[in-house]
Amino acid sequence: MSLPAQGSPVWGRLANGGLSRLQTSHLGTQMLMKRLELSPAPASAKATEIYNYFVKWERSLANEVAQLNRL
Amino acid sequence: MKSPSSIVSEGGAINGLLPVDTVVDLIKAGASLSLAGRKAALDRLPAGNWIAGTSPYFMTAQGGRIVDDDVLFVTDLGAIGTVTFATYEAHELERISGEAPDNGLALAIIPGGSACHTEFAQNAANYPMAFMRPTVGWISGHDLEKEGHTPWVYDGQVAKAFPDRVAVAQVTLPDGESPVIEIVNIFAPDGGDVIHFEETGFTPEWCTVNGTRQRFCDYVLARGREGCDLPLVGNYGGAHVNASLKTIDTETGTVELFAPVFPGVDYAFAAPVADYAGDFRQALAEHPTAGTVWSCNCILNFMFGKLEGVAIGGAAGPVTFGEIAYQLLNQTMVVLRKE
Repeated sequence: MSLPAQGSPVWGRLANGGLSRLQTSHLGTQMLMKRLELSPAPASAKATEIYNYFVKWERSLANEVAQLNRL
Repeated sequence: MKSPSSIVSEGGAINGLLPVDTVVDLIKAGASLSLAGRKAALDRLPAGNWIAGTSPYFMTAQGGRIVDDDVLFVTDLGAIGTVTFATYEAHELERISGEAPDNGLALAIIPGGSACHTEFAQNAANYPMAFMRPTVGWISGHDLEKEGHTPWVYDGQVAKAFPDRVAVAQVTLPDGESPVIEIVNIFAPDGGDVIHFEETGFTPEWCTVNGTRQRFCDYVLARGREGCDLPLVGNYGGAHVNASLKTIDTETGTVELFAPVFPGVDYAFAAPVADYAGDFRQALAEHPTAGTVWSCNCILNFMFGKLEGVAIGGAAGPVTFGEIAYQLLNQTMVVLRKE
């Protein structure tokens, strides 16, 4: 599955709590999930950070990318 | 070049103990190295392409070892990628990931007990590039049996020791390769109380246990955890991140930790471990090994697990006073692989 485009509503849903439902054993992703959960940053900034993160690590996150559209 | 006590990763890179004279030759030949050992050994090295930290404790293929001044633990960073070196003061630490390569990582060594240690422990996860350009590494230490010994790190470019700077190797991986940062943690929550803390810090005075506020020291004593062998286990998106107990002063009611706790994280005491070495052996046997290039393990695992002379598998590496995988960890093995 390819990564949703930056304008996809997927990223906003993830930034608004959807990320906490991601099933992952990828350490960096788990720690980022916690960082974003505790962050006071606006959802739009979180969505951009999540998008950039998945672009960077897409190759290592095939299982996680496959979940994005149902979170 | 092989050391009898090294584990040679794929590609034959050096990752093991070598005589100091051999390390001097490697430095003079221009090798890019990450080193660990006693200060007396590190003080003999010439300037060159290296960073280092102090610790006399190591895990090797043959088991845990406490070394003398005649050997150093050597990781050949040049076999991993293209390397540049830098040092940072406490107020500059977000530059570690900020200046790390896009395709690579920062390998950082931080002096134990320094302002850098505290700053990194409390803030690393919030550095802007923390999860885009990962940091791995370790907290330097000293021989716990020697009075007056303290933790140091070295900037090899000037062959100088520092008690209060972070030494960093920025490693750019070849095109098509990515870093994989993993942990091996034999501890899991005991399934009982859920603990929350009100403030970030190494000495939490108050906590909330299953919704009831109480002094943390009282809770630790009530749970019979004053032996400090079992860490708190924090839940970070499903990852188990430990904060280990350092000291308990029952007179002042002060509990000191080796890593800070954070508000908003669910903590629990770890369940007891029946067979420390056996649990590590099993966890490492199930852990991917392809492309392993570096690792470190915790002094508390070495001590409480009685790992001197005991082999547990996995890659060789320094035994450290704190481990780094994106942020500070305790009582955990960190493994760096390439894929």
